[in-house]
Amino acid sequence: MALRKATPPDAGTLAPDRPDDAAGWSLLLQDDSPAVRAEAAAAMATWPECAVTLGAHLLDETDERVRQALFTSLTRLADDQAAAALLPLLRSEEPRLRNGAIEALGSMPEAVGPRITTLLHDGDPDVRIFTVNLLGELRHEQVLPWLLHVLGHDPAVNVVAAAIEVLVEIGAPEHASALRAARQRFAGDPFIGFACDLAIERMEAA
Amino acid sequence: MSRILVIDDAATVRMYHRKMLGDAGWEIEEAVNGVEALEKVMNQPRDQPFDLFVCDINMPKMDGYAFVKELRRQPQVAQAPVLMVSTESQTHDATAAQDAGANCYIIKPAKPQELVLTAALLLGDVAAANKAAAVGMQGA
Amino acid sequence: MKLATSQITDADFQKFREFFYRKTGMYFDDSKRYFVDKRLLERVEATGNEDFRSYFIALRFEASGQELQHLVNAMTVNETYFFREAYQFDCMVNDMLAEICKRKRPGGRIRIWSIPSSTGEEPYSIAIYLLERWAQIDNYEVEILSSDIDTTVLQAAQRGVYSQRSIQNLPKEYLQKYFRRLGDNEFQISRDLIDAVDFTRCNLSDANDTRRFRDIDLIFCRNLLIYFDDLSRRVAAEAMYDALCPGGFICLGHSESMSRISSLYNVRRFPDAMVYQKPLDGDRK
Repeated sequence: MALRKATPPDAGTLAPDRPDDAAGWSLLLQDDSPAVRAEAAAAMATWPECAVTLGAHLLDETDERVRQALFTSLTRLADDQAAAALLPLLRSEEPRLRNGAIEALGSMPEAVGPRITTLLHDGDPDVRIFTVNLLGELRHEQVLPWLLHVLGHDPAVNVVAAAIEVLVEIGAPEHASALRAARQRFAGDPFIGFACDLAIERMEAA
Repeated sequence: MSRILVIDDAATVRMYHRKMLGDAGWEIEEAVNGVEALEKVMNQPRDQPFDLFVCDINMPKMDGYAFVKELRRQPQVAQAPVLMVSTESQTHDATAAQDAGANCYIIKPAKPQELVLTAALLLGDVAAANKAAAVGMQGA
Repeated sequence: MKLATSQITDADFQKFREFFYRKTGMYFDDSKRYFVDKRLLERVEATGNEDFRSYFIALRFEASGQELQHLVNAMTVNETYFFREAYQFDCMVNDMLAEICKRKRPGGRIRIWSIPSSTGEEPYSIAIYLLERWAQIDNYEVEILSSDIDTTVLQAAQRGVYSQRSIQNLPKEYLQKYFRRLGDNEFQISRDLIDAVDFTRCNLSDANDTRRFRDIDLIFCRNLLIYFDDLSRRVAAEAMYDALCPGGFICLGHSESMSRISSLYNVRRFPDAMVYQKPLDGDRK
């Protein structure tokens, strides 16, 4: 006994009957073994057309490792289909699914980009909060106008708070008056006051 | 001195809670999500455990419910009360918070007096609770 | 032209600090101001930006994450040497191996994966620790696998020649036992140790590479993931999860954390170190 040298097997000798197309891997998503399902979910990141299947499978999957693989693969795809597959999960009753979707979508700001305006007017304030957080990661000429619109008009205090959070980092002196107006709009709220003051302090000192 | 771990992915919220609770005389540490919070719990000195957790619900990697559930599964670490901070629309999750092992919740954005009073009560800090209640009566 | 550190304002520093903490988990308190300002200004200049503000906007929104990686590089110490972060090796011989062995029969196989191998300091440090500081070494078959994406570095590891700087933390008796002096500043590690470690190229982002590693009991992945972007880190952490046995352990670098990467692992605190563990089968999340 003691130290022994061992070389990992060559990829070719491992499970030579592994599928080589989307359909084949898709079947393995139904396998009894979570390890096989996780491998299938990870493999499917290679084919953009798998986004729909990956998203649908999230609704049924209970194993955490497989769930993570599904979300990671959708994040790797990061295209319009992947975003479309994830968006319905924002309304899930289950926090893990909802937060997983938020995190995945948050990593693909460009794919979500075309849908921002609709999302910013969603009836669910949690969806609007998520969208505002996403603006913090998005490279788009409309980001600041969108944030300012939320500051001036969104009725929900936590959505406005999310917008201020983003401005603390990317705000510029010209946004100070919009922040003061938001502070006024929520005059009774100490947190909004605190956050606006912080944002203004950060941008004026820059 | 009581130690509080403030858990929230939003930096401004952490700063706000830090200010309110710090001004009340307690020591504050921060974490951005449930995983980091668990790491801080695991690293807490035996003679200086956290006395209270003030915990957001929606966070990346590990949300508030998952954090509390995981915390309660660790009998070898000191078990402090958990104050969940939830948005208005999450209040239907109040039973979920309780089921996970939290002690109570308040709605965000928290009013300073409510935050401090609730924390004081959970910490058993009578002096701080009286002080916060007195402030509340003045402001009413 | 020498840049004055006073060009980073307090507000700039706080903005940067919060951003960096959010992305990496590394937090710079106020005492690190000089350290941070100096390096920030170097990056501002290196990227051709006029001031911190324009640099920060570019940094925040860069799709590739490359500048963030440059920044991480600038803010961390990258040196490799024998017995670096040895408290984790202490944890290995004092606690982790004992738990691992509970699941093994006598004479059973234990697999340890060290990635990145870099020029070999880490896998050879593990080997020395096992031979010298683990009482059970003769009762089990231990395989040390080590990988890197860079084949030139793997070749260097297999040559096993090191500088004075690299070996300076080694106790004298280990130096005498396992190394011979080749020249003024050159020490070569013993043939027995070189032959005891397997070196294989591996790209953690490539499933074809990572699926070759299975049934691993303990992974050392230190000061690697910190240089990856968010998505690559996830992919790597998930690949290593799949490589581990249920109950297997993984050690990251001292300033790294799974909190920015993945929630799949359990956090375990031992007297010597905090490590991460793949849940045991009955314990799956």
